[in-house]
Amino acid sequence: MKSLNRRNFMSLSAASGAVLAAGAVDSRPALAGSVTFAKGGRDFSPVTGRERKAIPTACWQCVTRDSLIGFVEDGRLVKLEGHPESIRTNGVICAKGQAGVNQVYFPDRILHPLRRVGKRGEHKWKRISWDEALDEIAARLKPLRDAGTPEKFMFQYGRMKASQSKVMSDFMAAYGTKTIGNHTSICEGGKWTSQELMWGGHYDNWDFDKTDFVLIFGSNMLNTHTNHIPVAQKLIEAHVGRKVPVYVFDVRLTNTAAHADEWIPINVGKDGLVALSMVNVIMNEGLYKKDLFKFMKVSADRKASMDEKIAAVKEQVAKFTPEFAEKESMVPAGKIRDLARRFAKSKSGVVVSYRGTIAHQHGADQERAMMLLAAVTGNVNSPGGRCQGVGAGWKSPKSKHPKARALDINHGFPGQVAYPTHKVSNQVLKMIKDGRNGRPEVYMWACYNPVYVNGEVNENREIMMDESIMPFLVCSTIVYDESSSLADIIVPDVTYLERWDWEDMVSPTQVAEYYFRQPLIKPLGESRDFGDMCVGLAKRLGIELAWKDKEDFVRQSCEMTPGVKEAGGFEYMKKHGVWHDKNANPDYLAFETRIPASALEADGVIFDEASGVYWNWHESKAKTEAEAKTVGYQNTPKSYKGFVGQEVDGEVYRGFKPDAVNKSGFLEFYSELMKAKGMPVFPTYTPIPEHVEMAPDELHLTTYKVAVHTHSRTSHCKWLSEIYHDNPGWMNPKTAAERGLKDGDVIRVHNKLGGITTNVHVTEGIIPGVIAISYHVGREHSGRYGSGSPSPIPGVADDPDFNNKWWDKHGVHPNAIIASSPDEISGQQRWMDTVVRVEKA
Amino acid sequence: MTEMTKSTIGRRQVLKGAGVVAAGTAALATPVKQAEAAKKVPRWAMVMDLRRCIGCSACTVACKAENNVSLGRFRTVIQHKMIGTFPNVTKVNLPLMCNHCTSNKEDASAKVPPCVKICPEYPGERQTYVTPEGKKIRYRGGATYRRPDGLILVDVEKCIGCGKCIDGCPYGVRSFDPFTKAGKKPEKQAVDKCDFCKHRIDNGVEPACVNTCQGRARIFGDLNDPESEVAKLVKEHNLEKSVLLPEEKTNPHVFYIDPDNLLKTAYRQREKGKLDHYVDTLDG
Repeated sequence: MKSLNRRNFMSLSAASGAVLAAGAVDSRPALAGSVTFAKGGRDFSPVTGRERKAIPTACWQCVTRDSLIGFVEDGRLVKLEGHPESIRTNGVICAKGQAGVNQVYFPDRILHPLRRVGKRGEHKWKRISWDEALDEIAARLKPLRDAGTPEKFMFQYGRMKASQSKVMSDFMAAYGTKTIGNHTSICEGGKWTSQELMWGGHYDNWDFDKTDFVLIFGSNMLNTHTNHIPVAQKLIEAHVGRKVPVYVFDVRLTNTAAHADEWIPINVGKDGLVALSMVNVIMNEGLYKKDLFKFMKVSADRKASMDEKIAAVKEQVAKFTPEFAEKESMVPAGKIRDLARRFAKSKSGVVVSYRGTIAHQHGADQERAMMLLAAVTGNVNSPGGRCQGVGAGWKSPKSKHPKARALDINHGFPGQVAYPTHKVSNQVLKMIKDGRNGRPEVYMWACYNPVYVNGEVNENREIMMDESIMPFLVCSTIVYDESSSLADIIVPDVTYLERWDWEDMVSPTQVAEYYFRQPLIKPLGESRDFGDMCVGLAKRLGIELAWKDKEDFVRQSCEMTPGVKEAGGFEYMKKHGVWHDKNANPDYLAFETRIPASALEADGVIFDEASGVYWNWHESKAKTEAEAKTVGYQNTPKSYKGFVGQEVDGEVYRGFKPDAVNKSGFLEFYSELMKAKGMPVFPTYTPIPEHVEMAPDELHLTTYKVAVHTHSRTSHCKWLSEIYHDNPGWMNPKTAAERGLKDGDVIRVHNKLGGITTNVHVTEGIIPGVIAISYHVGREHSGRYGSGSPSPIPGVADDPDFNNKWWDKHGVHPNAIIASSPDEISGQQRWMDTVVRVEKA
Repeated sequence: MTEMTKSTIGRRQVLKGAGVVAAGTAALATPVKQAEAAKKVPRWAMVMDLRRCIGCSACTVACKAENNVSLGRFRTVIQHKMIGTFPNVTKVNLPLMCNHCTSNKEDASAKVPPCVKICPEYPGERQTYVTPEGKKIRYRGGATYRRPDGLILVDVEKCIGCGKCIDGCPYGVRSFDPFTKAGKKPEKQAVDKCDFCKHRIDNGVEPACVNTCQGRARIFGDLNDPESEVAKLVKEHNLEKSVLLPEEKTNPHVFYIDPDNLLKTAYRQREKGKLDHYVDTLDG
């Protein structure tokens, strides 16, 4: 048992903190009717009063992946709570996390392997054994491998992270294919690419515990975010507990905007411009902080003096006056000036930006504008600022593998995207249809729903229905959905509450947390972890893996990961679920670290005069030192892998180390890489073409997420769909009046891709000229709680609670009228650029 | 009801049983003060901090799981209300549940709320409540009744499923539970509502909704202990009147921190027999 010493815990729990270490549960009442309560870690049956078995594990409803305690009663999972000892979550979880129980027990869950017996889309299935399923899949995979074309086996995933991802990629590598697709471009890939061009890595954390001022652009982070629970609770504490000013720019009055000092309505796609105009004010009024300029590259001359750098930034943002920004964005110039001044004068400040900012054409450039605002005010990687995220660094076993081959269908069409560092998943089906770069003979997917989650849903369905271009489809899943319903073989995956994993999501404290997932119950039916399915395939294909099964993979990882190993490895993690280095200092200002001379003299390290980078050419694709020197750092493929340090003012620093592109060690705003691809060299404002061409009667269509659903994987969770199952379009009263619409009217929302019918929700909480429709719902197939009818597969279960289901609306899906269209810089799906007309239906 | 009878172990043992006392107890009352405070019967209460409620519904779902609440009803829910005209708009999220009231407006001396007073099975058999120090207090049971620590509880074994308490509650937070038969009339459904997670608090663990609240908008504790956070908050923010429907004079024990005075505007009373009192997420 451990004593806890957590600020939040002490100040916020009922009185004090008596919490039991997970796995060490005392059978006596902790405190009976006294003033002191444990916050969590134990639970009891409300019927029998008996204590429930507590097992530490981790969530997977969304990518935040909070640590959990699962409570089990008579072999049944009954309750999930936050892990009280997690430094990431402080023991709380969200509504989706609480509804994880529904993922295990929803009545339409797929629990047996199925083979399609009718035509694709006819929904006719036969239950088969695992042996039959694996034999059949292996019979398709083996000839491809034997023929030297393993790349014709394509795997695509939605949510696979940490050990899930490692196990998958290890198996695929051992098989020999690198035709692996993801879903990142429909999520936040543009933000990541942008950050990789500037500060090297990707993923930002916001140091709310220490910050003094918060600006939020296009993010409802109090309700939904990729690191939701860890950061949201800290924002509330900063705002309410420490009275930190918070301002939210959004087209919609989100719950986050409603909790800010002020909601600042802003026109669609203008976030970057407003940030640039704030930089304009800060530069012109001399409010910038010089600290970071030393490490910033803001002009072609890497040796520019401080004064030259300041002058260069001033010049670049000169045209973005607050008055110009007001005209475009509707944010008053006076407001821009006021916030710019107050933000710059604060001791520290955070700039948050998300999909409202980045899911546009040149959204990646808007993210660069956000970073520029943070940088000129000295708020990058500093206490209270915008910091590079810190996650756990696990080690894991690796199998022997041949040189893998890939079909080039994961990075968009030739010339379509400048830097697809997180791939272009939104173009995969279109590329398969096109066929110019080849087509997979076997397409397998897991934890993904390509038909539903991308734009142009109808085209996606047509492509996957066509056996002449997608001959064999295999899906590992728990739910019968818009995509698995088109598979040839469905294999039943386990839920995240029935499997082993190690986990690594970013910690809000800038100290890494290592955490763990273990089965709370025996997997239902014949469900089998995707990793264990890979083992079954490997055996049939004669592939030797470095791990016996998923549990063994996780066990080996625990025994080889520094820190976790010394703490007690696998057995420690099973008992405690979380580990972090108690002596670790929060990671700030690492770019100021000097590189020792010895590192610069190592074999292969050369100096690149153009960029000022010391790099080891052995790590790159260069064949000789002479070639490396001639071609240079920027143009040698994979040179960034050999990055050693950045020369700045005669000293060599770690700088902002690249990890995806050949950038220098500066925080790059003047980007030679952008210039080389014909993209804006310095952050700028580029109007979105579709918006420039809009007719007066057209509206912007924006989409959003609500607190109680993930994009596509929770509509079958009854407790969530009971709260949110219908998604009428939000519309400002002025916009509604112009169309003769009143609240609740049935409307048709349409454009050249087609139309959808829904109701209008007339509300003051949205700007004029926009219709906002959430996704999550509008499911064709999602079982009885998500789409209204049981899944048409053999053996679905009964659920007495279904008699109590009272809602009969299941919403509409806006993706049918959103183009699958990537940002030309990053490949990010442009969710927010769609233009529609709306009429009374 | 004998839920407290096992709780006669002394405070010292109790703390030992808990295994751990958090570091940094200087922030708390001294042990002596705690012991003095604990001599009184606890009076459980909850403070809802509207500044901190972000309308995420984690509490609603946590409660569903914890108490196996059927579809079609909730023990606790968030009401959302948008206020103002574009662009000067705000929104308030209002957590709502049983108020664990003390009084009855017609008869304050009854010391029971209207839902209890109206219960045909109340007052029933005498029950014994044992304080943490072993002091025994006698009280009257019923199908719905008030425990001496202030919890308003339902005894499904005694319930006849008449639904009078559902209509008697001015807040509309009671409902029939399709999963549970009324003990005295098994052809009917028993009544159900929030019990402050009695099974958890009797074992020294906070209610499920409090446990999962990321905004720390829900604070639970003993109003009779002046050192408790709820008591301090009620005093600091002057919350005695900051309750739902004060005109009903029900003396609720769920208090709202409401600096912008939005409580009355945000609260929407239940329309009898309608579910949409509970379901309003369009603005969420």
